[in-house]
Amino acid sequence: MRDVETRPKKGEWIIVFTILFASLPLILGFALLVISSFSRDMVTNLSLSSFRPTIENWINVFQGKLAITGGIRQNILKITLNTLVVALGVSGTVTLISTLAGYSLSRIKFKGRKLMMLLLLMLHAFPGVALIVGVYLLYRLTFPQEPSFVRLYSFFYVILARAALEIPMSVWLMKGFFDTIPWELEWSGIIDGASRIKVWRQIMLPLIKPGILAVALFGFLAGWQDLIYVRTFLIDQTLATFIEANIEAEYSHMPLIAAAGTLYLLPTIIFFLTAQQLLLQSYSGGIKG
Amino acid sequence: MVKITLDRITKKFGKFTALNNITLEIEDKEFMALLGPSGSGKSTLLYTIAGIYKPTSGKIYFDERDVTEVPPKDRNVGLVFQNWALYPHMKVFKNIAFPLELKKAPKEEIEKKVREVAKMLHIDHLLDRYPWQLSGGQQQRVAIARALVKEPDVLLLDEPLSNLDALLRLEVRAELKRLQKELGITAVYVTHDQAEALAMADRIAIIKDGNILQVGDPDEVYYKPMYKFVAGFLGSPPMNFVEAEVEGDMLRIYHSRIPIPKQYGEIIKKLNITEVLFGFRPHDAEIVRGEAEGIKGEIYSFEPLGREQIITVAVDSDVFVKVFAPEEEHFRFGEKVTIVPREDRVILFDKKTEKALEYL
Repeated sequence: MRDVETRPKKGEWIIVFTILFASLPLILGFALLVISSFSRDMVTNLSLSSFRPTIENWINVFQGKLAITGGIRQNILKITLNTLVVALGVSGTVTLISTLAGYSLSRIKFKGRKLMMLLLLMLHAFPGVALIVGVYLLYRLTFPQEPSFVRLYSFFYVILARAALEIPMSVWLMKGFFDTIPWELEWSGIIDGASRIKVWRQIMLPLIKPGILAVALFGFLAGWQDLIYVRTFLIDQTLATFIEANIEAEYSHMPLIAAAGTLYLLPTIIFFLTAQQLLLQSYSGGIKG
Repeated sequence: MVKITLDRITKKFGKFTALNNITLEIEDKEFMALLGPSGSGKSTLLYTIAGIYKPTSGKIYFDERDVTEVPPKDRNVGLVFQNWALYPHMKVFKNIAFPLELKKAPKEEIEKKVREVAKMLHIDHLLDRYPWQLSGGQQQRVAIARALVKEPDVLLLDEPLSNLDALLRLEVRAELKRLQKELGITAVYVTHDQAEALAMADRIAIIKDGNILQVGDPDEVYYKPMYKFVAGFLGSPPMNFVEAEVEGDMLRIYHSRIPIPKQYGEIIKKLNITEVLFGFRPHDAEIVRGEAEGIKGEIYSFEPLGREQIITVAVDSDVFVKVFAPEEEHFRFGEKVTIVPREDRVILFDKKTEKALEYL
């Protein structure tokens, strides 16, 4: 990374301090969550005396014990797996569709292209919650008769429905990425004898890796974090619905929920840390004097 | 290794006419330069030959085969782009091998051909690098190698040298010309650099605003330009033009009178024309101190170039001409001089149509 080396450095610490100060509530919130998960009592009262360290919460979470007393058990591993399936499903669907659609909108002339782009933008402006009645109607109409399909179907449906919300913006994003690739590269591929789909696969996709990664990441996070769609359509539980369902239950032990919440945060953090390396790495252009 | 025939090609982008009724024959094994300023349509014409653009009307033939509707990959052409368009994510070897891989050629054959063409272009030691690890000249060789590896019938080059520095350009220029003749490949070369066109091409087509103004070998377009535009575009510095009026057997040029050049005597009489543009090249005139028969003026500026110098002479308050003079001569600013153009090299143009009188 390079920067203008002669920029004024004088007031820099003020800016840094302001940014830190502004993000303090956020950092504090996450910190309290993580600390609480290692404590017998919640430390959200900001009192150090309530911090009594233990890893019992984590053990309980992995054993699926929801309350310290009583025998309510949940298979957390399965719930995590469910969450992963939904998140990866949404991510994969969004990435595939938006790279294909983004390429077409960027590179191929066809009737209604402009209108389609406009409609996509409008679609993005619709909040997902507002659509839920209609989406639910469709869900009921296509609901399988065969009971053994029901759970599989609900996965399938929630992935498609959630992906549909992400796709408009992702298509726009991908179109932007494709737009930056010079036409000459595409022409060159065509003259070398490649079909459009081969140009897309072998020349364009490798060049917009950062874009693909961004879209895949946003898709993953959308699926991982989603509550409303998952709760409405998915028969199984994900981490989000699990936390939501237990946060108000009278038997629930809050530090344990904090542990579940931290677990819920982890993949997001890991995904971001690995992805940002790749996001920042992009090809330096083809032209050099 | 085909003859290219362009038959009344017109290409429109919306309302804008990029190519206007272009007819051109490019012989087998010929090196044809398409020369014109930017926006003249020369690249459009090249891309039309390549098959990236389809002409709005007109036909393209490779030998007898009508390729107007044939997609680029079935035309067997190689194209070198101005920015070389190397695939940044592929190593040099893969870049060159790409066209062969798409043809599903066997592995050993790909290996052999890539090494062959790389050796020919002196890049065989670079095969394991990525394009961004190469210098401009090396990248350009890779681009040429990729265009040549599939043994195309036609090699199309879109200003391939314009991203190179001046010294390298001269070197590659000679080499590229040699390569084209050795391979015996039909080549079309787009450039806005007149020196490149003159130096490399067998024939040059000068294009302006989507029209071909003149086609001919370098000597022809240089010494017998049909239009003022052609004369002004070729040569550096370009041809001088001064307004002249016919007065009997003489031409009045601002404050001077010189006899009408012999080759134009008859033509002027026949055309009964009074206003012409008097054109002569900077190296086709002598500069004489003081008064003589010629175009009088005073020294405005001089630029020594080492072997010779370019003298700018003010013929009138805002009319300037440039003339070469030997380096030994030293002039002063404002010195009175006379320019004596070589009579047989003078070209007169019609003031209205800007066409040379002999072609009117």
